[in-house]
Amino acid sequence: MGCDSCGGSCSPQNYLSFDAGNTHGPESGRLAAPETIGRLIKSAKRPLLIVGSEILEDDGMLDRAIAIGKKGIPIAATGPAIRGFVEREYDGEVYYYQLHELTNCILDPEWKGLDGQGNYDVVVFFGIIYYYASAMLSAIKNFGTDPLIRGVSIDKYYHPHARMTFGNYSPKRQAEYLEMLDKLITVL
Amino acid sequence: MEEIGGTIKIEGWENVQINIGRIGEEEEEWEPMGPYPMPKMADLRNWDYKLLNRYKPFYAPLCDVCALCTYGKCDLSGNKYGACGIRMDAMQGRIVLLACLVGASAHMAHGRHMIHDLEHRWGVDIPFDLGTEINVPAPLTQLITGIKPKKIRDFLPVLDYIEENIVQLADALHTGQEGSYMDFESKALQMGMLDSLGKEVADMVQIAYYDMPHGESNQPFFEVGMGSIDTKKPTVIVIGHNAPPTFDIVEYLTEKGLEDEVEIGGICCTAIDVTRKYQKAKIVSALGRQLRVIRAGFADVIVIDEQCIRADILKQAKVVGSPVICTNDKAMHGLVDRTGDDQDEIIDDLVEGRVPGVVILDPFQVGKVAVEVARKMHPKRAKKEYILSDEAFKEYLESCTMCGSCTFACPQGLRIGGANKKALEGDLEPLIMMFDQCVGCGRCEQVCKKHIPIVDVMVKAARPVIEKEKGKMRAGRGPVRDTEIRQVGAPLVLGTIPGIIAPIGCGNYPNGTKDVYTIVDEFASRGYIVTLTGCMAIDCGFYLDDEGKSVYERYPDDFDKGCVLNIGSCVSNAHIHGAAIKVASIFARRNIRANYDEIADYIINRVGACGVAWGAMSQKAASIATGFNRLGVPAVVGPHGVKYRRAFLGRRDLPERWKVYDTRNGEELYCEPCPEHLLVAAETIEECLPLMAKLCFRVADTSPGRMIKLTHYIDLSMKYLKVMPPDWHLYVRSETDLPLAKKEYYLQLLEEEQDWKIDWKKKKIVSGPVKGVDPSFNPTLLERLLPEKR
Ligand code: SF4
Ligand code: SF4
Ligand code: SF4
Repeated sequence: MGCDSCGGSCSPQNYLSFDAGNTHGPESGRLAAPETIGRLIKSAKRPLLIVGSEILEDDGMLDRAIAIGKKGIPIAATGPAIRGFVEREYDGEVYYYQLHELTNCILDPEWKGLDGQGNYDVVVFFGIIYYYASAMLSAIKNFGTDPLIRGVSIDKYYHPHARMTFGNYSPKRQAEYLEMLDKLITVL
Repeated sequence: MEEIGGTIKIEGWENVQINIGRIGEEEEEWEPMGPYPMPKMADLRNWDYKLLNRYKPFYAPLCDVCALCTYGKCDLSGNKYGACGIRMDAMQGRIVLLACLVGASAHMAHGRHMIHDLEHRWGVDIPFDLGTEINVPAPLTQLITGIKPKKIRDFLPVLDYIEENIVQLADALHTGQEGSYMDFESKALQMGMLDSLGKEVADMVQIAYYDMPHGESNQPFFEVGMGSIDTKKPTVIVIGHNAPPTFDIVEYLTEKGLEDEVEIGGICCTAIDVTRKYQKAKIVSALGRQLRVIRAGFADVIVIDEQCIRADILKQAKVVGSPVICTNDKAMHGLVDRTGDDQDEIIDDLVEGRVPGVVILDPFQVGKVAVEVARKMHPKRAKKEYILSDEAFKEYLESCTMCGSCTFACPQGLRIGGANKKALEGDLEPLIMMFDQCVGCGRCEQVCKKHIPIVDVMVKAARPVIEKEKGKMRAGRGPVRDTEIRQVGAPLVLGTIPGIIAPIGCGNYPNGTKDVYTIVDEFASRGYIVTLTGCMAIDCGFYLDDEGKSVYERYPDDFDKGCVLNIGSCVSNAHIHGAAIKVASIFARRNIRANYDEIADYIINRVGACGVAWGAMSQKAASIATGFNRLGVPAVVGPHGVKYRRAFLGRRDLPERWKVYDTRNGEELYCEPCPEHLLVAAETIEECLPLMAKLCFRVADTSPGRMIKLTHYIDLSMKYLKVMPPDWHLYVRSETDLPLAKKEYYLQLLEEEQDWKIDWKKKKIVSGPVKGVDPSFNPTLLERLLPEKR
């Protein structure tokens, strides 16, 4: 059935959305290896990491967000995620932004970006409530087309509306998931 | 000349009543007629475009295809056009209009249905009189139609107007009609306005027929929560939104002196409406707990009317042996219509289990059947235990393979397998938490290959919590009185009462019911006026403070600073629109008659109100929010609200979107971005709270008002997000707007972070703000209100 019951060995075509009814249409998110997503981020002209409330819940996710930020990638912290960066006294480029507002801005080619230098071409979703992230990735896929903005997920869920995404990882596979994030970070 | 019916009563002839069906009567000239009596779909388009150009629709499609006609399925991904020529963005607008159509129809049809049911008994000439403290009796009706109703009959042309316009709007949904997303949204806004009007009619009709409270404060208390039901008594559980059948149950209980012998427990708005008159009824839960209440086996009989009832109610009721009585033709569930049959025979058939349920469409035939079935079923059902035994509980936990299928099926993504494992190890806490986070959909059970009744497992784990879950709620008080508006009009418009917070709607919360309590307590304790309706009014009632008091016991229910009001059911939230309209009418002396755009313009610029539908789920919640939006009131929804597909988002980084005219001289000025959004989804409660405070800013705030609002905005952001809001400076017009306690600190931040010029000797801002404070600034978005146009 494509969930974590089979250890993630199922084929991408059969991959099940984390919320089983959340099917999409002709274009499905491509299941990608961490290195592939890492290379996409690295090759982006203006990448942005968008992190949400779940980075505060899970051991290790905030560490990875900070590690990605330290590779020079700006971070938009949505919802209460910003607390994590404040508490860690993170001194990199991190901004609090509301996710609906942020996605709306990303869809505007004229938007000046969080730093005033212009819009982003690859936006990476991380630690955001599944269905909220799914809807925002759908908005980007459907309306962020000219110029193309790639919405990518590095969450532990399969995201059908993302251009590239990981599969589903249950809590018992958290270590494996964190390892994937580490591989991605190595490529950056 | 209008045709209006009448009644003549002759003194001394109490029993003689001559009804005259159609006499001509001029309506009282209570105000000059405004420009838009009974506006059709294009009449307020200019106003809609003002809103839509500022708050551009943002779309997040749930699905990339359209399958509405046989040309399809059409792939619309990447904003492509379908075979009929509709583009993805317009298609999303079309879906939004469809949702609003369904929601508005539900509210309006509810009102119409009640009149059909009750006019046979009481006629339509029941006076509609809310007493000496209310002279603006039906603000939405007056604003939209120009009619000032005096009796129920006067609402009939209002319903005709709504019905015709709903059909016209529904027509626009057909393939090959509207093609612009902006015009779909304008139509959705029209539908939202009709929805608000339909709600007002429905609530006014029931207030008049059942003599419900007319807006009086200090309403009596009644019990709420799953622990409030005395399971030793026969229990009738009522579910839905249309109260007349339940009022018949109350009448029967009262006539027979059975009030202390039989429990009435309600789920959803029928219960809220019945408790407005009968406080021995209890509210067991809001909609979100429906399945869990049924499975807990409380109901010796279930009586349903309309809306928000589980479509599989018969299947679920059968699990716990509860017969079902359907009382509304909109939800008959395949049962036989027994309206008019011998009541003793119906009772017998239900008690003996010959039928799982019946349909009784005359509300005045429901009371006896429901009560007597409950009395007869109770001893039979009392012998059985509906909550799992310890052994069965353990067996189910042991059979769980932690396969994760339930998690994939769960809209909340709850990790049930893990919680089961913990429970087996003796830690019930995760399952108890899930009992509250669960939205009671039952999807998990269908996919569990081990056939574990997951909802029952959660109910079993949470049983000790359920038994203690009991709080006090005040009866729904209905409208806000004109006398209250006279008191609070000035502080609200000046901003010294920082805002009206209106929690409304359903229970599809992201993280359980506690968030509702947090919203209410946080804002009431800060001096906002908190007006609740519907499920959120219920869900905050069973959280108690250290002294065992609910928010309803801790805060008074006046429409005043720091108060918490149960306004009533979902249809009663029309009174929240009504309060905002009354501020314009009573405090600002604006003509409201058929003058929608001017009053909406007044509200968006001056009345700091913000709705919150934290668990918005239904199509009604979509039309409610859209109706608030057209009137200039923003709303925040919870994260599930993104599934409505559309938001109305402002852009604070685009100053040209925030131009406002000054009515004094017609000058166009750049203003602060307020309210910044009309409809926005917050990710978590921590984000919701400061966001709501922000959406209470208005361009007309005075400095003392802005200072108070800014204090709360910054404070809530620091408390819940641990950062200064990134946009706080945009709301500072002068040093007099700055919170006093830390004024110097804020001046320093403005200088360092925003490059504003500060005169440190005078502690004054020299340059920086978008616009300065001008106490006589008279803002408007409408050209027609400018001096040369008037
Ligand atoms: S309504 Fe239009 S987009 Fe939808 S299926 Fe028909 S042709 Fe395609
Ligand atoms: S689907 Fe059933 S067996 Fe699988 S984890 Fe859920 S409860 Fe356990
Ligand atoms: S019933 Fe509760 S636990 Fe089961 S799928 Fe629905 S929300 Fe999840």
